[in-house]
Amino acid sequence: MNAAPAIMDFPDRLSPMVVKELRQGLRTRLFGGVLLTLHMMLVLLTLMSGGAENAAVVSGWFDGIATLVLCIIMPLRGFSAVADELKSGTLDMLALTRLSAGRIIFGKWAAIASQSLLLMLSIMPYVVARFVFGGLDLFGEITALFYKWLIGVVIAAVIVALSTQRQFWLRAVVVFLPLMMGGCGAASFIMVSRMGGGMPPGTVFTVFTKSGGGSSTLLMGVGMAAWAIFFFLSLAATRIAPAASLLSVIKRSVNLVMLLSLLLLGWLTGSGADMSMMAAGVLSLLMMDALTERVNDVPSVYAAFYQRGWPGRVALWLLAPGWVTGLVYTALLVALVTVYVGWTRSVEEAKLVAVRAAGTWMIAALVQLFSTRKSRDLLPPFIIFWLFVNVVVATLGSLLLMPLAMRSNSAWFTCALPQLLPAGYAMAQPGDKAAFLDLGMLTACIWPAVLLIAAVFAWRHARGARQEGWRMIHGDQGGAAL
Amino acid sequence: MSSSVSNSAPAHEMDRSQPAVVVEDLHRTFGALKAVDGVSFSIDHGRVVGFVGANGAGKTTTMRIMATLDSPGSGKVSMGGHNVVHHPAKVRRLLGWMPDSFGTYEHMTVLEYLDFYARALGFKGADRLRRIQEVMDFTDLTPLADRMSNKMSKGQTQRLCLGRALLHDPQILILDEPAAGLDPKARVELKNLIRILAQEGKTILISSHILSELGEMCDSLLFIDKGRIVHHGDAESMVRGTETAGETLVNVQIAGEPAKLIEWALTAPLIKIVEETKRGARLRIQAVDEDTLAGVLRRMIQDGLPVLDYHREERRLEDAFIDMLGQIDKNTFKAQPPEIRPQKNAEAAN
Repeated sequence: MNAAPAIMDFPDRLSPMVVKELRQGLRTRLFGGVLLTLHMMLVLLTLMSGGAENAAVVSGWFDGIATLVLCIIMPLRGFSAVADELKSGTLDMLALTRLSAGRIIFGKWAAIASQSLLLMLSIMPYVVARFVFGGLDLFGEITALFYKWLIGVVIAAVIVALSTQRQFWLRAVVVFLPLMMGGCGAASFIMVSRMGGGMPPGTVFTVFTKSGGGSSTLLMGVGMAAWAIFFFLSLAATRIAPAASLLSVIKRSVNLVMLLSLLLLGWLTGSGADMSMMAAGVLSLLMMDALTERVNDVPSVYAAFYQRGWPGRVALWLLAPGWVTGLVYTALLVALVTVYVGWTRSVEEAKLVAVRAAGTWMIAALVQLFSTRKSRDLLPPFIIFWLFVNVVVATLGSLLLMPLAMRSNSAWFTCALPQLLPAGYAMAQPGDKAAFLDLGMLTACIWPAVLLIAAVFAWRHARGARQEGWRMIHGDQGGAAL
Repeated sequence: MSSSVSNSAPAHEMDRSQPAVVVEDLHRTFGALKAVDGVSFSIDHGRVVGFVGANGAGKTTTMRIMATLDSPGSGKVSMGGHNVVHHPAKVRRLLGWMPDSFGTYEHMTVLEYLDFYARALGFKGADRLRRIQEVMDFTDLTPLADRMSNKMSKGQTQRLCLGRALLHDPQILILDEPAAGLDPKARVELKNLIRILAQEGKTILISSHILSELGEMCDSLLFIDKGRIVHHGDAESMVRGTETAGETLVNVQIAGEPAKLIEWALTAPLIKIVEETKRGARLRIQAVDEDTLAGVLRRMIQDGLPVLDYHREERRLEDAFIDMLGQIDKNTFKAQPPEIRPQKNAEAAN
């Protein structure tokens, strides 16, 4: 028997998925190329930063390069992370190990975050060198670098979540559209600043404040980033988890706690107005997630709720996997945020939050009405409808709203589309605003109603699974009313 | 190559009072397509069963459901006494799965590949290293330990995939087309490995298009057509079951182009072409008496065919399979339904 060489490069404590991804990732030409190029450029910039007269320009380029590497290049490594496994059939083999869907996804992300951290740490000596040569704000620079890494790993979580979609074009549109728009914005900014002549070209990349903000801002930023990472990774894990998985229970519970914490924090710190806007933004993401889960028809999933008595039966309506319970869950979240916004800001703004939520329900309703029965994952049609509706909104907005606004008329037609209504409301004549909002609210109610009807049918369709789940716990006693 | 692979891996919970595999009235549809349409069968512990069917017959879908990778539309599937839907984690511990098509990983050596899966299956420290070594010895991968896993031949890749499937010493193996695309040497090696696994008492369900090999390796064969099991029995009963009385299979070789023989056979009475071969054809003659068979040879020579060889042949499993499909199309096939040993009450709790 020949002995295979022992393999002890990573300790047992590390997640197997992280070990795998690091072994692969650190060997790629991309990582090696980025590492070498980055250091060559940073050496040059550090040598150039000797003179005080060009310190600002060098600082701008330094920021730009670090931003490009940490916020764009490294996160983009997750672009095909899960899609490649799906295509090559290796995800099936991973699913048969003890690795849960959550650990698989986390491993993919953690490897990117670790490599990104490695690059960030390798930049540190150059920061210190520039501090020695040029007297820059060391703490501010390090904090800014940390923020870049933090934003980069959040973007990596978004991209890893997107990589669960097999369709390359869909991933490309969702990832590269904002990048292109950001690139165009940056290019315009450079041109304007050059024409003005007062701004060094590198400054355009200085996207983070050098001061780093206070410790509460840092804590808040880290907290929000941690939740965003959890949200996108759990969204991805749901897409690859087996049907019998109860991942939605953990996911929705954490998200509910997160939303309540935001609202509570706003109330405790007296910044309710700011928090309510943040909560409204978070709400739309939570709605997208909950409303794109397939209705579950695995009896053991329902049995897990039924075995916990009446609290379990109540929890089933909110936390069981599937978009039907997702509708109930999102209704609860919308009610919470609407009431809070009404309390901390104004009734009008609360109504606008409700209308925006109706816009998300509208997309979910369109998905239910028009997507094929074969589509196992509702997220791609949701994204497609979302993109389509927003293109329509942008087109209608530019073609119809502007002329009406110039003639000082209220654009009543915007009441028909929840996505258009906030813009229409903003341009409405002061005397029309109240009636405008009431009409908008009324028409927006159509969409949750449509979704509710679809939900009743879908819930009936899963009745057999619920009854089987009930029988697994309680035998043949009861369960007919499920 | 080691003679055994069941050494240091942990034993897994398996109810031996139940059949190793029970599939009851399994259905699975994809849109309008009924991929699996009421499949039922059971497999006892330690049996090697071949799963045979044309492409699209429903083999892979059934196997994927058994492997907890897909959900049944309706029906029940239990592996080692555990329902695949209710207890997928327990089933996975008992199960080794080798899919028909799979990829390996870039930038990862054979050793690292097995190390990753061993970690993912819960092996730690020295146990992990020992288990990897056992599997590499069994599959003869030790000399390839430092080779990149995506730079290997098809046969080596298949051995790597089998090694991966064996890491946790599963009691049930599902092998979907393991010999597809392998050269003869690699096929023999794979067959030997499967034979050793069968001797160790593992329950194996194996699908393949190479029916002669399945006939040699398997205790019984399951034939599936259009999502339904149409026959369950050993290879011999399959060959006998599809035999048409009063027919003889004859292999003929001629000098020159075999097209001449085909042309002749198309017009000759009592003769059907089974398949064209490199130097002639296999023919089915509707006669069994030696005088008639000799008369056919005499006519061939009289008609100017340069016959080099003319001999009777035993029917092969492939012939039986093709005949069976033809008989199913004509509704003349007498199906032999699979024996199903229903699960005992313990399954109700599962």
